[in-house]
Amino acid sequence: MNQVGVFVCTGCDIGAAMNVAGLEEVVTEAGAANCTTHPCLCSPEGVATIQGAIDDGTDGVVLGACSHRAKIEEFGFDRTKVFVERVSLREQVAWCQPHGEEDTQMLAEDLLRMGVARAARVSAPEPLAMTIDRRVMVVGGGRAGLEAARVAAGMGNPVVLVEAADSLGGHVAGMKDTVPEHPPYDTVHPNEIGRLVEAVEAHPGITVLKSHTTRKIDGQPGQFEVELTGPAGTETLQVGAIVQATGAHPYDANKLSHLGYGASADVVTANELESMLAESSLARPSDGKSPERVVFVQCAGSRDPEHLPYCSSECCNTSLKQVAAIHRDFQDVETAVIYRDLRSPGQLERFYLGVQELPNSLFTRGEVGGIEDNGNGRLSVQLRDSLLGDEAILEADLVVLATGLVPNAADGESIRLLRDARAVIAKNESETQVAAARETVGELEHHDDTEILNLGYRQGPDLPVLQYDFNDSHYICFPYETRRTGIYAAGALRAPMDPAQAAEDGLGAAMKAVQCLEMAARGEAVHPRAGDISVPEFSLQRCTQCKRCTEECPFGTLNEDEKGTPEYNELRCRRCGICLGSCPERIINFPDYSVGSVADMIKSMQVPDEEEEKPHVVAFLCENDALPALDEAAKRGLKWNPWVRVIPVRCLGAINVVWIADALSSGIDGIILIGCKKGDDYQCHFINGSELADRRMTNIQETLDRLTLESERVRIDELARNEFARIPEIFDEFLETIDDVGPNPYKGF
Amino acid sequence: MQKQIIPSADFRKQLRERGGESATRCYQCATCTSVCELTAEGSLFPRSQMLKSQWGLADDLAGDAGVWLCHQCNDCTARCPRDAKPGDVLQTIRSLAIQELSTPRFMGKLVGNAGKTWPLLIGLPILMWFVLIFAVNGFDVPEPTNMKIIHASADISFVDAAYAQDDGHDDAGHHGELVEGDETRLVYEELVPHKYIYVVYSTAFLLALFAVLVSAVKFWNLIGRNENRKGSFIGSFLPVLAEIGSHKRFGSCDTSSSRRWAHFCVLWGFIGAAFASGLLVISLYITKDPLPLAQTHPYKIIGNIAMVLLVVGGLWLFINRLTDSGKTGASKAYDTFFLSLVVLVIMTGALTELGAFVFPPLAASIVYVVHLGSILTLFLTVPFSKFAHMIYRTLAMVHERMVEA
Repeated sequence: MNQVGVFVCTGCDIGAAMNVAGLEEVVTEAGAANCTTHPCLCSPEGVATIQGAIDDGTDGVVLGACSHRAKIEEFGFDRTKVFVERVSLREQVAWCQPHGEEDTQMLAEDLLRMGVARAARVSAPEPLAMTIDRRVMVVGGGRAGLEAARVAAGMGNPVVLVEAADSLGGHVAGMKDTVPEHPPYDTVHPNEIGRLVEAVEAHPGITVLKSHTTRKIDGQPGQFEVELTGPAGTETLQVGAIVQATGAHPYDANKLSHLGYGASADVVTANELESMLAESSLARPSDGKSPERVVFVQCAGSRDPEHLPYCSSECCNTSLKQVAAIHRDFQDVETAVIYRDLRSPGQLERFYLGVQELPNSLFTRGEVGGIEDNGNGRLSVQLRDSLLGDEAILEADLVVLATGLVPNAADGESIRLLRDARAVIAKNESETQVAAARETVGELEHHDDTEILNLGYRQGPDLPVLQYDFNDSHYICFPYETRRTGIYAAGALRAPMDPAQAAEDGLGAAMKAVQCLEMAARGEAVHPRAGDISVPEFSLQRCTQCKRCTEECPFGTLNEDEKGTPEYNELRCRRCGICLGSCPERIINFPDYSVGSVADMIKSMQVPDEEEEKPHVVAFLCENDALPALDEAAKRGLKWNPWVRVIPVRCLGAINVVWIADALSSGIDGIILIGCKKGDDYQCHFINGSELADRRMTNIQETLDRLTLESERVRIDELARNEFARIPEIFDEFLETIDDVGPNPYKGF
Repeated sequence: MQKQIIPSADFRKQLRERGGESATRCYQCATCTSVCELTAEGSLFPRSQMLKSQWGLADDLAGDAGVWLCHQCNDCTARCPRDAKPGDVLQTIRSLAIQELSTPRFMGKLVGNAGKTWPLLIGLPILMWFVLIFAVNGFDVPEPTNMKIIHASADISFVDAAYAQDDGHDDAGHHGELVEGDETRLVYEELVPHKYIYVVYSTAFLLALFAVLVSAVKFWNLIGRNENRKGSFIGSFLPVLAEIGSHKRFGSCDTSSSRRWAHFCVLWGFIGAAFASGLLVISLYITKDPLPLAQTHPYKIIGNIAMVLLVVGGLWLFINRLTDSGKTGASKAYDTFFLSLVVLVIMTGALTELGAFVFPPLAASIVYVVHLGSILTLFLTVPFSKFAHMIYRTLAMVHERMVEA
């Protein structure tokens, strides 16, 4: 039990909104040692007062002032010595409630009781002390990987660059020209990858391992144990962070027979043309003659549900580049580009314009219906939906298919499912299980031998994949960030992109990797709880090996021993608390955020009895989006229902269902959970916290129905950071529902 | 229907050289189509014309009525996000279409490349006149003549009113009371007898008419190729004439609304001038009035009003073009030639009339010959110059009505 000191600020309308003197009694009753009021707590005098109390042995400070998002520096006390609970009397009371009313006072009192309860229960976290290896391993020596290696080494980190091929440069190495990367962006540039390769190979801080692949990666950020195989056999090394930049390969044109590939030798892929142009030749494969007209077919396989449903992003610019090279190197060749939408964003719009202005360079929007040999040694390209005429025919001597990109990615989660299914078959315990496993094997067999990183992680040997089998990244907010802390994805592996974008990706991923190592060295979490030093404790003697935590951790933090007991890797952990939410035995707790501390907050509230006709509602708000939205609503002067008590949580996934039970048994009438948007384009900062909460609450609701307690009492809602205006309405609606179902029958028990 | 696309590098080259080089910038966003007042629902005008220009589909463009409906208000050019200047491109397409449809072809090319050939086009007819006059009278510049002006009194009809030469034998053939006045001027007929003018211009007119008719028929057939026209030609022609006379559609242009009235002045100026010329012929051969007519004579008044309209409208257009190319489109040699020719005809015409009174006789005579020469150029180049838009545009409007009917 901590010695709790409460400090109430009366500035910023707080003093005018409530009877501050009345709060003193409440907090003393709640167990606080003292309650100090101050007209401006964030002033140097106010801060000195708090610091004085800390120096005198107070180890739990409750600040009844502004939101935890405000005055961070002023109230930045030594977090290893004291736990500071910020009770948001300003945003959650003074700014959103009428001043001087009974309900306002009750709300303020409850919030302070909750703060005192939490401060009394939790403790300041012990900082982690870890030995960190600052070496960065880059997997893949293409444009992105080279850039990542160069940048990481430039920041003073030793780098090992692992490349499967026997030379560096990847896909780009085979090109003569590149899409412009410098002003004025209007024509092709000579390929400069050679210089980058030289710079990387000559860098004293970079070890280049060509013809090497990763056979095994164990451990955690700062402490990865890597096993590599190369021409000289197996070697092991320690690295701190990993950048995966394994790139992409062109879509298999043999699947594009409707575009004449295979049927005519004069239908070639962009890659095949690239090889020709690299040797400054342009000849029809069929007869070696130089073509008079070259027709480029864009989106060959891309944006096609039968082939690649996505835009491969680089093919338009590649075709522009090839058109420019043809007009530069070969006289009197006419080129025609047939596109659905020509996408050359940013500065490359100028490139498009430059190529359009070449005299024999034609473009038209349209669909290619088919390509066939017309018998006269030329190809007939059938155009549809083109302004040149419906069902028009354009003759060509050479057709170039701008095939799309397929990532060189491994689907870690599917490989794991495949392996698990094989294990079930090998064990051969139950016939139905084996049958299901065989089905899984059938579906996933194509993942055999696709492993790249070979991670020793419970959740699979490679990064998870997102849509279209591109490797994971939090592409909305944190593009290089993957669900495996310390491993960053860069380049066409994570999203279709051109070499220039891949280079930028390499830079970004390298900076993330270095940042991660810095944070790990300080024992701090990386985003989104950047700087958090608390780590969960597992009371494993009570573990039932249910594996929920190892399954549900979005970051693969937990491995399992043979029995299924979780093995915690603190440096992989992002401190989201989803494991805490998952554990039915409630054995996973953070020093400053635990099942007990929130339960105590719930129990500390004074729930009015049935006669008062004041419903009582608990709102669990995610700290990432919903809580900042609430602060924003308060700042804008929105008013909401005074019977709602907000409990901030790390993530909706970090809500243990026992709290719902606790709340209902305390006579609380309704519980609402507000978190980030879920789904494929998730905003959930912890990937699937909202989804997990949704699933768990559905189970809870079923349980409530069984107990003939109305399932409407528990609701889950999604709120984006900018939807703050919905807050009053969400609360009002929920209270209407609660009004309809009536008071909690357990009230007063 | 399957159609072979045959791009023409040659057409693209001509388009570039003749002022349509901005077409390559078009990326088919259709802003032009959405801002154009002329674009019918579902039509892709002028977006598809831009694409066809980029590819050099000469045949498609020569047989495209839409190209001629455009009055080049330049709303599209003003709003084009990529500065592809559809207005300029259409203007160039029209000039190339005139060339493509021209008979004989060499004239089309000669006028089409006026940027290079203009000294020949303007110089040759003037030279011809000088040579002709030399051959006839050795370019004997006449002296100004003192003329007695006889104003008709109220009771005689206006056709009787006339100048009479102050040579002693007075207005014997005329009735009623006459009032005398004095005026000294150059009489151009003494330099160039009218019969030469008739022969030269009648020939030129017939040649031009023939060329116009052949091209017009060619064009009419081309634009009707793929479209189903209904109703009678005349039934559509009359409303088209009313439309042309009022310039109503021209008024829907936002970007260059003043051009409506400038063009209106020029059109009616030309009509007035043609009408006055017709009346002059009546006066010469039917009513046999002595020439020149008095300034107060109704024919003369019509002619002078026409002249004022032409001067005002022509200068207005010319100044517009010089001062704000963003609204009028860039001036290209072909247009500059046409406009300069019109201005030359108008200005020399005005100076001829003025010069008869104030210029030294030689100077006035040279101006007159230049005037005669430039009119001849105008006559001969009508089927091949921008003037041809009179025919193609009118036919395109009739075609449009007949298709919509």
